[in-house]
Amino acid sequence: MKTLKTIIVLMSLLGLTSLMAQSLNALYVKEDLSKVSLTSNVWQKAKEQSVEVYPQTTIEMNDAELIKANEANLAKVLHVKTLSDGKSVAFLLQWNDKTKSLQTVQSTTDYSDGFAVQFSTVNDKLPYIGMGSVDRAVIVHLQKATGKVYEPNNGGDVYHQVNASNQNAFAKELTSYKNEVAKQGNGDYQRAFIAEGFRSLTQIRDNSEPSLMEMKYDKGVWSALLVRPLKSEHLNLQGSFPVAFAIWDGEKKNRDGAKLLSAWVGVSLDANAKALALLDEAKGDASNGEKLMMENCSACHQYKSVKNAPNYMAPNLSNIGGYANASYLKESIMEPSAVVVPGYNLNAHKNFLWYTSDDKGVRTSTMPPFAHLDEKSVNDLVAFMKTLKVEVEK
Amino acid sequence: MSQRQLAMVMDLNKCIGCQTCTVSCKTQWTNRNGREYMYWNNVETYPGEGYPKKWQELGGGFDEAGDLKAGVVPSLQGEYGVPWDYNHEELANGAQLKPHVDPKWGPNWDEDEGAGDFPNDNYFFYIPRICNHCTNPGCLSACPRDAIFKRDQDGVVLVDLDRCQGYRYCIAGCPYKKIYFNPRISKSEKCILCFPRIEKGLPPACAQQCVGRIRFVGFLDDEEGQVYKLVKKFKVALPLRPDYGTESNVYYVPPTEAPPKFDANGKIIEGSERIPPEVLEKLFGKEVHEAARTLRAEMKKRKETGESELMDLLIAYKHEDMFRLDNNYYAEYAKSKGMPVIKPVDERYLSGKYTSKMKFFTKGANA
Repeated sequence: MKTLKTIIVLMSLLGLTSLMAQSLNALYVKEDLSKVSLTSNVWQKAKEQSVEVYPQTTIEMNDAELIKANEANLAKVLHVKTLSDGKSVAFLLQWNDKTKSLQTVQSTTDYSDGFAVQFSTVNDKLPYIGMGSVDRAVIVHLQKATGKVYEPNNGGDVYHQVNASNQNAFAKELTSYKNEVAKQGNGDYQRAFIAEGFRSLTQIRDNSEPSLMEMKYDKGVWSALLVRPLKSEHLNLQGSFPVAFAIWDGEKKNRDGAKLLSAWVGVSLDANAKALALLDEAKGDASNGEKLMMENCSACHQYKSVKNAPNYMAPNLSNIGGYANASYLKESIMEPSAVVVPGYNLNAHKNFLWYTSDDKGVRTSTMPPFAHLDEKSVNDLVAFMKTLKVEVEK
Repeated sequence: MSQRQLAMVMDLNKCIGCQTCTVSCKTQWTNRNGREYMYWNNVETYPGEGYPKKWQELGGGFDEAGDLKAGVVPSLQGEYGVPWDYNHEELANGAQLKPHVDPKWGPNWDEDEGAGDFPNDNYFFYIPRICNHCTNPGCLSACPRDAIFKRDQDGVVLVDLDRCQGYRYCIAGCPYKKIYFNPRISKSEKCILCFPRIEKGLPPACAQQCVGRIRFVGFLDDEEGQVYKLVKKFKVALPLRPDYGTESNVYYVPPTEAPPKFDANGKIIEGSERIPPEVLEKLFGKEVHEAARTLRAEMKKRKETGESELMDLLIAYKHEDMFRLDNNYYAEYAKSKGMPVIKPVDERYLSGKYTSKMKFFTKGANA
């Protein structure tokens, strides 16, 4: 382990490509993964791989305390183990977090630690990382560390959610009432969602994307588990497929877009699986890219210390290299309307709307296509954009 | 932007702070289910810190460029106050009656305290507050889930509980702090303007129950309605804190009827204003001066001639004149949309727009 750390430090000093995984190799096991838990022995066989997760900076949310808590936001390293039994795929994620945060039912200002694993429903083009995009839906499995949560729409049993003090119940009667109330709350907040772009995240309630999830905190480390079938209504995972991870830190008031997010990484189910061409990194001259970015992009986009453009003129690209893949960046330069990121505020910045909508709801980005750039320039630009990311937490 | 806008006018000269509106709302909507601390309607004493505590200083709303301003989410312990219960069960064993927490704040905490020196220049008045069902709602703009929507038919702002995931950006975004987080179900909830009632032609419970008859309810484009006349014709009803940029649709007739101040000898200072004009200007904007002038002029006119349409409006002789809800409007609207004629509950509020098949970005879905 020590040697590995030394190599990473040396390589980063030399400015060489990071050792972070572009591809996760799922170890094939005979055990039935549908019954696996965080403490199962089967995990000991799997090799640990690292994936970096970066703060999403495209949109700044309007919570003053959240903005303050995330001022010095750094990227984190996720330690990932992947297993497959031919029917299911299982991920074990571990990350450092000095504070365990639970969302309780006695507080309006508690936020939970949480994690999500995201799958693409298409394999030929990458969806927008984090939220999917039109005709490129993503399936998101989310777990949050919460206290007992009650569903307002499903159960319909309002009687048992009345404050105990409002009941004409005493002694044993009251105890059984309280027990029933406790039973109705679900301790684990686990959800599967489908999304086709910002503002479209929608819960799947019909169990067509089943999953087994678990979260456990021990001595400053969160361990999290997701097991789901390779085949389901929206997914057919075989060979190699893209997957992305996100984590939320409740202590920093993280929720929704305020999260640490990985780029799409490939998962290979077997050693012979062909690596995903989509995940190929662009080879280019980053220093020429920096020049091109200043000439072509900085009038609208802010990134790092380059703040020529007014706030909210266009998405902030300060961390784009951390969570966007080269193919997505390339596509966004050539065809900006392929994926349109909406601003966070429906009614604001009327002078520079990020997109227009036609009467069928089809969005056109206000960014002009830069398809006139030659291939080398685009590769150089992408190579530079891939360097736009914050430091990884030590 | 909705097709029509339902609005409410509250005449602060008539509010006696009896909290009947608060109780009618509380018992109807927010007495359970993690809503114990919520007051979709509350009446606060002004000057005072209000509910939640210091709500006017908690941010939200829009800046001059139309961008959302950052706000904070009030805490149950600090700004709302934990609703307390008493140890009734222990009383039979000789225990003393006491609350189960040490109360630090709550609705009406600083009731009737006001400001100034008694009896010379002390003053206070009451402000009943509900969700303002803004034309440009801060909550709606701040929601990254498209979970808050403004109804086409009447501009009522609702939370789609199916889409809400309890992020609470809406609470930071509302400068009035009139949207609440329900920690028990992990979703946001707010005043629904009693839409199941108004769809049947009944006014919201707070307005119906008001003993001072201070509340008028109607559509802003109904030129025969009292709301239209008070807001647009006479311009005496003004939105609360218009500087927040949300274009609020609850309007207030500012309090103008306070006794004059006394001097050190206990004599009346002629022409003095017990409620400082700058206090009213902060709450209702610069238009408050013109509104006060109109109100006084009309009062004078009434005294001198016995005639004043504005005074007749504000006296509110008949309940039915105060709530012009166009009884058949909702039925006609439903018919034009091919909906069943009686639709007492908004479907989107109840069941959301959940679907397992994704086709969101069709016309209207993300307007």
